[in-house]
Amino acid sequence: MDGSTLIIGLGNPLRGDDGVGVRVVQTLATYDLPPNIRVIDGGTQGLGLVNLMEGQQRVIIVDAADIGTSPGQFVRFTLSDARLLGDEKSLSIHAAGLREALLLAQALDMLPPEVIIYGVQPLTLAWDSTLSSSIEAGLPGLVSAILAEVACEQA
Amino acid sequence: MSKVDVNVNVHHLTRVEGHGNIVVDVKNGELVKCQLDIVEAPRFFEAMLRGRPYYEASHITSRICGICATGHATSSLRATETALDVEISEQTELLRKLLFHGEIIDSHVLHIYMLVAPDFFGAGSVLPLAGSHPEVVKRALRIKKLSGDLCEMISGRHTHPIAMAVGGFTHLPSVKELLAMKERLIAAHEDLDETIALLKTLPWPDFQRETEYVSLQKEDEYAFIDGVIATTDGFTYDLSDYRQVTNETLVPHSTAKHCKHNRDSYMVGALARFNNNYDQLHPRAKAAAAEFGMTPIVTNSFLNSAAQAIEMVHCVEDSIQLIDQLVDRGIKEEPLFEFNGKGGEGVGSCDVPRGILFHNYIIDDDGKIEGANCIIPTGQNYANMEADMRALVPQILDRPEAEVTHLMEMLIRAYDPCISCSTHFLKVDFV
Repeated sequence: MDGSTLIIGLGNPLRGDDGVGVRVVQTLATYDLPPNIRVIDGGTQGLGLVNLMEGQQRVIIVDAADIGTSPGQFVRFTLSDARLLGDEKSLSIHAAGLREALLLAQALDMLPPEVIIYGVQPLTLAWDSTLSSSIEAGLPGLVSAILAEVACEQA
Repeated sequence: MSKVDVNVNVHHLTRVEGHGNIVVDVKNGELVKCQLDIVEAPRFFEAMLRGRPYYEASHITSRICGICATGHATSSLRATETALDVEISEQTELLRKLLFHGEIIDSHVLHIYMLVAPDFFGAGSVLPLAGSHPEVVKRALRIKKLSGDLCEMISGRHTHPIAMAVGGFTHLPSVKELLAMKERLIAAHEDLDETIALLKTLPWPDFQRETEYVSLQKEDEYAFIDGVIATTDGFTYDLSDYRQVTNETLVPHSTAKHCKHNRDSYMVGALARFNNNYDQLHPRAKAAAAEFGMTPIVTNSFLNSAAQAIEMVHCVEDSIQLIDQLVDRGIKEEPLFEFNGKGGEGVGSCDVPRGILFHNYIIDDDGKIEGANCIIPTGQNYANMEADMRALVPQILDRPEAEVTHLMEMLIRAYDPCISCSTHFLKVDFV
């Protein structure tokens, strides 16, 4: 597993811009990536992410996130850069998402050594299977940034 | 002495537009308000399918829910196959059952350990539990890994069952993979035994309320896919008559429709299946039920979580048997369905982790979806959840308000409600 990287795209493609993470990994999957770089469509599986991340050297997560920028812009951050906001109480396991999975992995000492998150500001999360035009417009830049990060590690 | 006023208002904001509110208002010792508002079924279900080719439906609908992806996909495929008169092979049937067991275990283990157990350990959520009882949480993740790998072996990928297609599978597991999985399932006995041992020590609230329990039913197996609709009030219906059971109606206080059949409400889910289909449980699962002292008809909704644990035991045992059958037959490539220019209407139904789910499609002669309807389990449970709340509140009015609130939350959690439009939308505060 040395040097392995897993790129996980999260979100629901039926919920408008929430599908951006899935779209990014679908795009990345069309590139000829080195064998130690894998991409996976993580959908909306919530706590299942803990299992998915287990044993990885580095995990890069792409997800829609409220980062306070204009729609389509993205921010790259690590867990020490940010506080993930949410509600501890929950009525449903369906409410568990990236935040809960990361906190649980952390509590169990199961976090990969490196976790990098690319948060993309969505415009709308309404039921719709297309991305907003501002998100579409931002995609090439986001994909390039991730490819550059991955390539950088290869050098 | 009873308090005269109690006001419980749990406002759980899901990250998007959903609600998760429990409202209880007692004035002068009388219950004046008691309601629940969780997220409704996907409203644009028909809109997202209309005009799309029949073979896309299962892939689209599997995205509705990351937890019940296989359940939606299988119900969708069964609706399409019924509409288009597609016969499926025994191999496909066996593989679908095995995959389905994977999803049931996956969902139940998360619910039991991540949501129900923290309540009993006095932990606010699974996070402090991971600190105080890491071995308990790690056991859950081991079981979840097993079920996730089982699903991936058959459906080809985590989260979304892409290998499932109308009439069969586009990818097949090898005999070698199946046998390796069988070994892991056998090895999971210990974790399952410990799960039952843990759960049976928990102080399950003593609460009884008779209601009607609705699930799929088959004569010769514990039904998860196909069968007839059966109720504990003695009714049975063909799947095509599902609307006679669901009877969806609008209620003033909720955006979600309510369902009722023979009584004011009915319950679906693990406890409903247990109550209807106890006879078809594997002996090991019946032994687990005996540990909880459960025999049908169990009328304590809190024990839905115990019924889930019993089903996990059943699904592991039945998975082992299914693998034996598949290995004995040998895995063969089979031709997939080819559309013959004849449309139709069909209902597909599965008893997914949270209960009976219906998909209903009308497909035209070009193979395009003309109309679609979906009724999710949680939608069918709303009325029953509220009826439980109304019955429980007067019994616990003498307790502190925080305890009343906690018990109401536990009650709703026991149903394992599905927030089907959940997303992974993240809120970030940069430091």
